[in-house]
Amino acid sequence: MERAVKSARLVGVDIYIISENGVPQFTDLAPFQCEFVSNRGTKVWPGNFLPDLLLVNWYRCRFLATSEITDKDIDSFLARLSETWLWSAAQKLWLYDNEPGFSKPY
Amino acid sequence: MSKHVVTLIPGEGTGPEICEAVKRVIDASGVNIKWEYEEIGLDCLDKYGTLLPEKTINSIAKNRVALKGPTTTPVGTGHKSANVTLRKVFDLYSNVRPAVSIPAVRRPWNDINILNFRENTEDTYSAIEHMVSSEVAQCLKVITWPGSFRIADFAFKWARAQGRKKVVCVHKANIMKITDGLFLEAFREAAKAYPEIETGDIIVDNCAMQLVRNPAQFDCLVLPNLYGDIITDLCAGMVGGLGFAPGANIGDSCAIFEAVHGSAPKYAGLNKVNPSAVLSSGIMMLRWLGENTAAVCIERAMQAVLAEGRRVTYDVGGTAGTDEYAGAIIEKMNEQGNGEQWKEQ
Repeated sequence: MERAVKSARLVGVDIYIISENGVPQFTDLAPFQCEFVSNRGTKVWPGNFLPDLLLVNWYRCRFLATSEITDKDIDSFLARLSETWLWSAAQKLWLYDNEPGFSKPY
Repeated sequence: MSKHVVTLIPGEGTGPEICEAVKRVIDASGVNIKWEYEEIGLDCLDKYGTLLPEKTINSIAKNRVALKGPTTTPVGTGHKSANVTLRKVFDLYSNVRPAVSIPAVRRPWNDINILNFRENTEDTYSAIEHMVSSEVAQCLKVITWPGSFRIADFAFKWARAQGRKKVVCVHKANIMKITDGLFLEAFREAAKAYPEIETGDIIVDNCAMQLVRNPAQFDCLVLPNLYGDIITDLCAGMVGGLGFAPGANIGDSCAIFEAVHGSAPKYAGLNKVNPSAVLSSGIMMLRWLGENTAAVCIERAMQAVLAEGRRVTYDVGGTAGTDEYAGAIIEKMNEQGNGEQWKEQ
């Protein structure tokens, strides 16, 4: 029995960045924009977080496309990001039948 | 001027009537608390567009202590749990769940006195889930060294303060060698600062079996989030059910005390349900605030009312409503005096 999914559309990428210098800040992201940065599942950007929050050196950074993208856009984006950041993994984000196949942080 | 200011979050379903009964009992103990009422849950969606309004977060951030009633969490889809959001936002990393046999509530197990310390912010609760293909879903289990070390250290600190003898780490490091292995490694490192406390470790499935075979062998348990969720409910069931299970979510500078049961919406407004779990959470809160005399006073009165069995709720064989049970506890406290004679040792 197969799961009935009619369409899958690539809309972005989660990149897990290792940073020893706090919450990563990004510029020059086209054709993506950064939706959030989270640490251990809690959103730390945009907006504030309480000073009590334990931060580890591993951040989940969500980049959503601002226009139609292909795998090549993600490949070149990762290459550009690698010039500044150390990243441990990347996870492509798809909409399945227009429903997000990815979670949001707290 | 009030000695303490506490954020009171009645919650949903039966939460408001339970919390009102608990507030009556705590106020009757003579402890000086100013309660600041705040909201949470599905009702807030219509009013504020969120399950957890900013006003509630600000109140807790200001007062640093809250008592909370139950809320409802949608299953599978919809909004994220308001409970987990609170734990995440305030980094309440230690979920303290005592499981202690209540003499008046007879169960097959009557010799349980376990302090559970569940890591409350990591593991599969990190909200990192993806459909990685059209037919494969993935949830990341995030275990960190600092997160694991601090829950272990917290447990050892409590164990030392309460004169406990043994702390055991629960894990599945035989299978998840890297994630649970890191949790166990951090536990062993934390243990080095507490040489007087005996330590051990146990695989989670064996822990579940040992709990029902011989619960008296356990003193304190330290668990990653998901195993902790399950094992602490098992422990609660063994001492009388979630109706008697208190809980505290504690961070470095903030604490939220709450029962772990659901909001039982079908009983809402019926003045029927047992408020003991929220009351016991309130007793934990009083101890956290340093109000030990009031804590002992309420605890003894509650035990006495349960032992008499006349004015107790339906779940323990009585016919009393929430209000009447609370009133019986207050009467018992008045009979007992102001609690000075029971100052905690």
